[in-house]
Amino acid sequence: MSRPAPRRPATRRFRLANGLETILAPDRESATASVWVWYRVGSKNEWPGVTGASHWVEHMLFQGSPHYPKGAIDRAVVEVGGTLNAFTDTDFTAYFSTVPRERLGIPLDIEADRMTRALLRDRDVNRERTVIDSEREGNENWPEYRADEELYQLAFREHPYRWDPLGRKEDIRDLTPAALRSYYQRFYGPKNAVLVVSGGFEPGAVERRIRKSFGSLPRSGADPHVRAVEPEPRGERRATLHGPGTTPLLTIGWRAPALSDPATPALVCLDVLLGGETRLFSAGASMGRSGEHPSSRLYRGLVDTGLAVRASSEFRPRVHPALFTIGAQAAPKVPFDRLEEAVDREVSRLGTQGPTAVEMTEVRTKIRRGAELAYEGASRAGFRLGYFATLGPPGFESRLFRRLLGVTRSDALRQAADLFRSERRVVVRYEPTGGDDGVGA
Amino acid sequence: MASERSDPLVFERDVRADGLTVVRQPAPSGSASFAATYVGPAGWAFDPEGREGLAVVTSQVGASAAGRRDRVALARELDQRGGSIHRHCAPETNEVSVTGPGSELVPLLGLLADVVLRPRWATDDLERVRRQIVERQLREQTQPGPRADREMLYAVFPTGHPYRLSGLGSRRSIAGLRRTDLVKFHREQTAASGGFVVVTTSRSMSDVQRLVHSRFPRFPTDRPARAPPAARNPVSRAVARSIAMAGRSQTEIRVGGNAPSRDDPSFPALVLANEVLGGRSLLNRLFQHIREDRGLAYHASSDLESMRWGGYWSAQAGSAPERAEQVVRLMRDELAAIAETPIPAGELNRIRESAIGEIPLGLETSADAHELAVDAAYNGLAERHWLEWPSILRALTPRAIRDATANVYDPARAVTVVAGTVG
Repeated sequence: MSRPAPRRPATRRFRLANGLETILAPDRESATASVWVWYRVGSKNEWPGVTGASHWVEHMLFQGSPHYPKGAIDRAVVEVGGTLNAFTDTDFTAYFSTVPRERLGIPLDIEADRMTRALLRDRDVNRERTVIDSEREGNENWPEYRADEELYQLAFREHPYRWDPLGRKEDIRDLTPAALRSYYQRFYGPKNAVLVVSGGFEPGAVERRIRKSFGSLPRSGADPHVRAVEPEPRGERRATLHGPGTTPLLTIGWRAPALSDPATPALVCLDVLLGGETRLFSAGASMGRSGEHPSSRLYRGLVDTGLAVRASSEFRPRVHPALFTIGAQAAPKVPFDRLEEAVDREVSRLGTQGPTAVEMTEVRTKIRRGAELAYEGASRAGFRLGYFATLGPPGFESRLFRRLLGVTRSDALRQAADLFRSERRVVVRYEPTGGDDGVGA
Repeated sequence: MASERSDPLVFERDVRADGLTVVRQPAPSGSASFAATYVGPAGWAFDPEGREGLAVVTSQVGASAAGRRDRVALARELDQRGGSIHRHCAPETNEVSVTGPGSELVPLLGLLADVVLRPRWATDDLERVRRQIVERQLREQTQPGPRADREMLYAVFPTGHPYRLSGLGSRRSIAGLRRTDLVKFHREQTAASGGFVVVTTSRSMSDVQRLVHSRFPRFPTDRPARAPPAARNPVSRAVARSIAMAGRSQTEIRVGGNAPSRDDPSFPALVLANEVLGGRSLLNRLFQHIREDRGLAYHASSDLESMRWGGYWSAQAGSAPERAEQVVRLMRDELAAIAETPIPAGELNRIRESAIGEIPLGLETSADAHELAVDAAYNGLAERHWLEWPSILRALTPRAIRDATANVYDPARAVTVVAGTVG
């Protein structure tokens, strides 16, 4: 059987003397070029009092650096038709710009300017405080966010995965500009970053430009080992939230291994089997949910049977052990107990009988197919190259891909039996208080 | 196998004898994927009275199982071929799209044809979709963002106007739908005439025509049974609505009003005006003045929805309840400014060049290019429209834009909706 690797563009990789890891992925035919900077810093590096700092720094890196005063970064990229943004996760923060190919110099200059020299002035930090507060409040309006936040708080008592990357409300209120600058100075720099350039450009010229603009930066940016180790749970943990709306949600999380763990490929297959998403190998940069998967086990067991209006699983392996989750929204008048029993039935069946041979073939096909288009376009290519380079050693994606295709039925059965144990699970129910909202004049 | 490379900014179009328009959009160079869409000429504006929600339900049930495949078999075939299927129902149209690797174009186009022409109408699919629609109705009622969107359209459009509704019907109308309603709607409204098949591929137009002819030889009907509603745009009047929703952290704000249809000569000017006011670029006024200058909200933006029978514009922001009043005031100030004062030349040039410069970004993948082609084809734009778009934008003067905005962004006729925790 042929086992094609993801259709990845050819790359040129080098490391500058200051530690900056660089990946160039030229595509002569592309009319665009995409620049990504990935820092190995996320909410895993925070501690109580500075939760949300990585995300706050993400906002501040658009608020001014020596050659790009406030507003100039947006102007420089947007005026030429480019797009730019950034996002913060538990394990990393990524900044990107995609521009018409002839404008590639602009985002390269910006990233070099703000890698170690962002201004983070007091007044800008304080003004951004209310923006971040507003971002969090917008999320809190959604029951899914509230349930997820509760799930991780309940599952982790020691490890920083306990808090959401947006940070705790109290820390957003109290964090000082000085503390934020100190966080930035400690963690951000070439030594802790991966620079990816993909799309239409001449690699020799771009390499020279990178060496010139980034090579003079100091060798800074710490990537300290996160010492906190979450102890094995001794029993199931549960919480019931009450909140506005009409969305009864059940979310269950099981403690799951880290990205580098040998068990991870089998768990990724279980995720595909249960929820239908290929996530790490799919056409698209979001790695999110793309829609319904009627052939998945959860869909057939929960949605087809009328117990839920939607159901999904998620295993996004992280640098440290995290969670494998299943979420479902109960159909009207279906009690939580019945829904939970149905989830139990599905995971027990996997843990006792495992997947069928046909299912495993389907999972492999799906992963292979998803990988075919995963690198289409400069932006997607930049995202994927940076994601895997940030989270794993060279060749990590290909190895993971091969391991995924090598997962057997018995591997999946063994890992399902080990994963879905009730003493390792956390259960959150979101009970809506109703929708009797009135309209005033 | 024929193959040709051509400019992805120029599409090709042919109208068949039965009235079906076939469009071939060149895939961006180097793209390994394809996309194909059937645009049906009947969305929820064609729902019969008392059967509101029928178009949406028909679309969802129809795309669940088709030809010889039940729901699970259809999903498995998509997985095996690396494809995915998407439905989109709007007031005017009902779209079904399929995307996947270019090597799977022929079988996946066949699958699309089955979904469009030969749905199975399984009863259990209808029941599942019914549950899901009711859940969406509840969310629309109880989530501040979706609720504010709905209330704004209720206030902008009068009773009976197709753009007033979300297409989800009411609990009662959804409960009353029968399988025979779906079959009848599909038979009467899935038409060749007024319909489009758009294919984004590196294959030639003659290949596309041949493939579409073999997969879509006949439609259930040549013409839709019902004519489009003769809905012209009303003139909205100032309305302020406050929806108290207890326990919400953020208050959602919408300010909106009527906008002209897509074929109105002022449309390009309004596109640029919207970009200046709150469009995609981060340079827009709402984002700059509400978020960047004052830190009052995380999101602040605006949209322009110009369709065949009219349209609407809306400005939106989400803020802490205690800041909502200030944000509303600022939003209305920005409206007044854009309606009354010509945009300074420097600002206009920045936004204009941004809109022109971003065209290549809309062509990174076949799916991106496909979106442009579906839009152009449905709206009857010229084959070279996207090639000529920069000159159209560059011809607009600040005065011409102000003339267009003066009639549209009028704060005296704007609808304001605030939903969430309100004081």
